[in-house]
Amino acid sequence: MTDVGRHPRITLYTMSELLDIKGYVGNFDARILKKARYVKENECTACGECAKACPVIRPDEFNLGLSSRKAIYSPFPQAVPSAYAINISECLGNNPVVCGKCVEACDKKCIDFHMSDQEIVEKVGTIIVATGLEPYDPTELDEYGYTRFQNVVTSLEFERLINAGGPSGGDPVRPTDKKIPKSIGFVQCVGSRSASRGAAYCSNICCMNTIKSTLVLKEHYPDMDIKVFYLDIRAFGKGFEDLYMRSRRLGVNYIRGFPGTVEEDENKNLRVTVENTASSKLEIHELDMLVLAIGIKPAESTRKLQEMLGLQLTPDGFFLEAHPKLQPVDAATRGIFYAGCAEAPKDIKESVTQASAASARAIRLMHKGHITSEPIISEVMEERCKSCGRCVEVCPYKAITCDVKNKKPAVVNAAACAGCGTCAAECPFDAIEMNHFTSIQIMNQVNALLEEKPQEKILAFACNWCSYAGADYAGVSRIQYPANVRVIRTMCSGRVDEDFIWEGFRKGAPVVLVSGCHIGDCHYINANHWTEKRIEKVRKKMAKLGLRPERLQLAWISAAEGARFANVMKEMEKLRAAVTENEISQTVTLLKEKK
Amino acid sequence: MVDSNLQTEDRDVLQDLAERYGVEGVRSCYACGTCAAGCPARRVNPAYNPRKIIRMLVLNEAKSLLEKDTIWLCSSCYTCQERCPQGIKITDLITALRNLAVQQGRSPSGVGMQANLVRSQGRLYALDEFDDKKRKKAGLPSLSPQIEEAVRLLKEES
Repeated sequence: MTDVGRHPRITLYTMSELLDIKGYVGNFDARILKKARYVKENECTACGECAKACPVIRPDEFNLGLSSRKAIYSPFPQAVPSAYAINISECLGNNPVVCGKCVEACDKKCIDFHMSDQEIVEKVGTIIVATGLEPYDPTELDEYGYTRFQNVVTSLEFERLINAGGPSGGDPVRPTDKKIPKSIGFVQCVGSRSASRGAAYCSNICCMNTIKSTLVLKEHYPDMDIKVFYLDIRAFGKGFEDLYMRSRRLGVNYIRGFPGTVEEDENKNLRVTVENTASSKLEIHELDMLVLAIGIKPAESTRKLQEMLGLQLTPDGFFLEAHPKLQPVDAATRGIFYAGCAEAPKDIKESVTQASAASARAIRLMHKGHITSEPIISEVMEERCKSCGRCVEVCPYKAITCDVKNKKPAVVNAAACAGCGTCAAECPFDAIEMNHFTSIQIMNQVNALLEEKPQEKILAFACNWCSYAGADYAGVSRIQYPANVRVIRTMCSGRVDEDFIWEGFRKGAPVVLVSGCHIGDCHYINANHWTEKRIEKVRKKMAKLGLRPERLQLAWISAAEGARFANVMKEMEKLRAAVTENEISQTVTLLKEKK
Repeated sequence: MVDSNLQTEDRDVLQDLAERYGVEGVRSCYACGTCAAGCPARRVNPAYNPRKIIRMLVLNEAKSLLEKDTIWLCSSCYTCQERCPQGIKITDLITALRNLAVQQGRSPSGVGMQANLVRSQGRLYALDEFDDKKRKKAGLPSLSPQIEEAVRLLKEES
């Protein structure tokens, strides 16, 4: 941390909050609120005289309330910058009658009550989101008695206790009598792997944290009776199993089963009732102290940041990466990366790995000084644009801006556009052209494919990433499907304009299929939501015109679903066979008249 | 060895529980023992174990469950259901199992007797002179052995 603080090319904003962020890769504008510290950062030597003089005593957040601090303080010994800070809502104020003792105590005169919050705008090229985690509060698990019984502590509190720099100097004293416990229990999965209370996911770190704690305890107190109440020990990392076995060999008692009740006796000892699922016996354990291995929750700021940056979240509430295997540190929006527990619960090693990867990915974009963008992007034809703002609404990347009030034509940001073509499909005035997948190109394909015997053809639109790849997979797997399918590739199913579908029916197509990635798997964030809405709309229009809506189908087919592609095509063939020549010719005349 | 006939019957029980009583999800049980460790009935009677009941359902041994008296030991306090990390409706499941057992005429004799008592007298247990004497000592009025309103309502219901 000190290295970061000293680095000439790293600017560190502490006590700061991100107000707002705008822009795109290479050109983000971050508005930052730097809160007043009331101590001159560069002059303070952290001598601590001010804190000695301060009369306000508050619980120390860093030690989770196990010790106290003053209203002027340094949050923890290694804090960067090392300068002290005043919590102004706790401070009695710089009024000589009331207090002002710290100002008197400071020889260097670096306390300044006239400081005020500052707003700073920084221009940045890339962003790494590393906003961390929130620990789970186990109070709601009433059977464990956290907050009811003082000797039930969380793993985080216990961590402060066994830390040499902690409030007890590294002695794992129990809170009631400050004595070293003779017996201690650990409860695993507190707030994790639970569908009803806490989170459904595994928090990843708690097993190894507990094992580490047992090893530390056994090293200092070999006779201490240590029990771990667990469900599964997940020691899957490098060297983890070895640590687990060492802990077992040292005599730590691993009991499979979670406590059902925790009671306190008159000596503040704890009676823990647990069903030992290995022996199927109900056991009662007398313990001096109980540690709850609490899980990890997404940080509180996650949602706000997600809205600000237009990012995606997993159902668990952590940030969603662009691809779980191939782009594990990238956000779907170019120029944004993730590191640490913001993305998922993980330990230090994994966090460091991900942070290194994220910075390397960022440097890869930044070092050239310019960005190469794909040629497949959309372009606005200004003379046609009526500034309705529809394109702005549907763009998953916030790449389009449009001044609706002043009727200025929309502008596509070439660096931010990913090329899904949803804007081009949605534009009511056909004022957006999608390069390499232009309307003329696709219309010509429709016409060419339906030129001969259209009544025998199945017209299918497939997205580049999933459905088209699925068709390929069906091919290489030699899965048979009807030979009369004619596939038109678009980058995304969101590109499929209503007009393409109508043109297909007008040219005598019996059935039309639009296919794309499964919902949630779209390669353009959520562009296929618009596909879904559009198809629904077209089907309603078809029903109004007296056409059978079943003739237009929508299917989600992934790149691995070759067999599904074939099955969908077989279904389409059945549907096609059910459309009579008469029905087709009626449709054709009806649509030609309408045109 | 479990004969194949029995297996289908067990599967039927599971299906029944899922369809008629809406209690599903037993298969997500990971045997953590939270239900058993917090169960007040288990503390008194080691023969009763909600974890084992769920396990037996998962292992397709529902039929033998219906034959045993253990499902009748549950006190319906809902502690297990409240605490189950996998959200399994354990108490509801046991109630459903009891209903199934009664339908198949497998309830313990005491349960039937008690049901008859409720039906005929509207009370969970019969009142006799002894109770009245005790009430008199406490200065309370004597009670009618039959609650007519309850009996009438039960009759209407059936």
